[in-house]
Amino acid sequence: MRIILLALLTVTALAAQVRDEDILKGAGENWTTYAGNFEGWRYSPLTQINLQNVANMVPKWTYHVPESNGLRTSPIVYNGVLYITNSNSVHAMDARTGRLIWRYDDGLAKRKGVNRGAAIYGDAVYFTTTDNYLVALDRRNGALLFNKKFADAETGTISTSAPLIVKNKVLVGSAGGDTGMRGFIAALDPKTGNEIWRTWTVPGKGEPGSETWSDLHEWGGAATWLSGTYDPASNTLFWTTGNPWPDYAGKPREGIDLYSCSVIALDLETGKLKWYFQFTPHDLHDWDAQSWPVLLEIPWNGAMRKVVAHANRNGFFYILDRETGKFLKATKLIDNITWASGIDDNGKPVIIPGKEPTVEGNWVCPGVKGGTNWMGQSYNPGTGLLYILTQEECGMFTLSTQKPVPMKNFAGGAATEPGGPVLIRAVDPKTGKRVWEYPVGNYSRMWTGTVSTATGVLFSGDDDGHMIALDAKTGRHLWHYNVGDTLTASPIIYSVDGKEYVAIAAGTNVFSFGLFEPAQPMALPAITMEK
Amino acid sequence: MRILAALALPLLLSAQHDVSAGASKNPAIQDPVAIAAGAKLYATSCGGCHGPDGIGGRGPNLVRQLQSHQLKDDELFAAIRYGVPGTDMPPTRLSDAETWQLTAYIRALTGPASDSKVPGDAAAGERLYWSAKAACADCHAILGKGSRMGPDLSNIGGSRPLTYIRQALTPPKNDPSRNFALMGKEGVTVTMKNGVVLTGIARNRSNYSLQLVDKQGDPHLINMADVKALTVKDHSIMPEDYGTRFTAGEMRDLLAYLATQTIRPSETGAK
Repeated sequence: MRIILLALLTVTALAAQVRDEDILKGAGENWTTYAGNFEGWRYSPLTQINLQNVANMVPKWTYHVPESNGLRTSPIVYNGVLYITNSNSVHAMDARTGRLIWRYDDGLAKRKGVNRGAAIYGDAVYFTTTDNYLVALDRRNGALLFNKKFADAETGTISTSAPLIVKNKVLVGSAGGDTGMRGFIAALDPKTGNEIWRTWTVPGKGEPGSETWSDLHEWGGAATWLSGTYDPASNTLFWTTGNPWPDYAGKPREGIDLYSCSVIALDLETGKLKWYFQFTPHDLHDWDAQSWPVLLEIPWNGAMRKVVAHANRNGFFYILDRETGKFLKATKLIDNITWASGIDDNGKPVIIPGKEPTVEGNWVCPGVKGGTNWMGQSYNPGTGLLYILTQEECGMFTLSTQKPVPMKNFAGGAATEPGGPVLIRAVDPKTGKRVWEYPVGNYSRMWTGTVSTATGVLFSGDDDGHMIALDAKTGRHLWHYNVGDTLTASPIIYSVDGKEYVAIAAGTNVFSFGLFEPAQPMALPAITMEK
Repeated sequence: MRILAALALPLLLSAQHDVSAGASKNPAIQDPVAIAAGAKLYATSCGGCHGPDGIGGRGPNLVRQLQSHQLKDDELFAAIRYGVPGTDMPPTRLSDAETWQLTAYIRALTGPASDSKVPGDAAAGERLYWSAKAACADCHAILGKGSRMGPDLSNIGGSRPLTYIRQALTPPKNDPSRNFALMGKEGVTVTMKNGVVLTGIARNRSNYSLQLVDKQGDPHLINMADVKALTVKDHSIMPEDYGTRFTAGEMRDLLAYLATQTIRPSETGAK
């Protein structure tokens, strides 16, 4: 019976295309989009692994990614095939065994950098090369369908994020904001790679918002280097933006530097800006607003309200109205914040003077990596909690006296990363208060986010290279495993043939964990060579 | 006919840019004049063992290698000058300039076809590729057009040397690496324990798993514990009669077309 089922599955399952509704329904057997669902929850409804049996979790397979270092990729899984990216490459493997099915490499790419993952739609797997080509590959054999350049690396833009695919549009972001570039989000045609629309995150000369810059705004940054989220009801995209450039030097860009360090809401069909909210006006500490905006509906003043929850690198946790962008609440995500005494009723930081980078150096908390970073957050509808990787690290910020030259010298100064406590914090979005916290190290080397299940198990990593499982309700330790490498990416959850797996790209390898099963000795089949 | 193509090739191989690892700063590398001079040196000093345009013989095939450990230019120079101790590869008595010319030629010979000026009419080759006479598309796709069963050829020019592509079309009969090159392309028939029989190409085969691509190009991820019997062909299902099916001119045209297939046409020599 099992054998028949397996054989049938292998024949039929691979034939089905990925449709909009498959991505819309969120994670389950498959994990078809970067954050698991459009709302950015990184949540799995699977129930096989639970609070009791997670102690029996073991590695089921390991896949070594050649020429990798500090993998940033978050896997995509569809019908028993797991897809990961490395710099300018995609690897497809059997999600039950880790056996490579195909691999695509673009050895001619002009830049080589990190890549955060692939996307899947129809019969194609999509990813971007570091030098900004959208690449479409046949998901069954990795054959090239097309590749098309959407930005010029010579203008400072590179690409690192996983595309987001919504209703026949492949949405790509832009990276490179620390050396000068102009950020954008672009919608591309999944059949051809042709541009449908492009929205710049730094306004052009004379456009609304351009008055918030003095000089150099053509290179102003506000990169969009992490995938965004999407609200189907209002057909709206939510995307966060990075720091203004030069990172630490404010003089060449006097003003609040829109739309850097912000969340922007865009109409999916046109890319038109619906609203924006800027977390850190005129940022001087490289505090990109990078972690993706999580879409929730929570009780607020006696009624249910659609909100955007966002843990920001500047150390604060925000709740905004999803329809209008109106500021609702901000609380301290971390304990050590020395640049602002709080957030006022309009959502503006109450600045503590004298904390900007100086030639001599200024000690500021949080440090340059921020109170959190791109590891982002996850949300569990069962516990009603967000799980956020936070860092209590401070740092020395210095200002350079050199004139900033785009793509050439520097970020306008420098910042130290001396290390500091890293904690997973469970935050109640209704109040902004911490419910529990769990320490995961002191070095701030890791870049691992969280993922949780319907059975209340939370998976993440620690600074010492352990995958860990915690009780999502209480933060109690349940399980850990040493992957032997610094963790630089986030786990995901999927199932094949009724078995649940938790997978993570761990440094230079992909691990997939599942519940222990004793090996079944097997006889090798008879093999006949045919002339 | 094949010999003609082989002879024509060296003079026309001129790398337009170097994508190889460890490229040196020696001016001979990528210089068409040096490459042409190196080709002449190759014919007299190397071809006797390594075969015309590197297809192998007494010495290893230089173009299609199992383990692609590509030597840096300086290492290649040293291997030519001093030989490889413990093997039949002898030292040479060529001058520095000549040794660099030879290095430049071998670098061009083993570099991607799209970097070379290939004789032939690529447009005519394109028509031939998609014709019933060649039937390439029955197994191979280019940019999503054609069958998914065989290897995708969208980047064949950008990833393989011209001689490699020619050898795939007209395989040398006694190349010892020929059977090994089959790995990942074996024709197989799988009888499952439940009676289902599947035929296609084994892209990946181990004791424990088998990835079979069927004639529709769909992959089947098979656990070997579910397999009763397996029949493996000891030869490629790629036709071996192209040498007689095509004229020399048609072969040149087809090679010219395939050489232009690269994922970065604007950034390579391919048109």
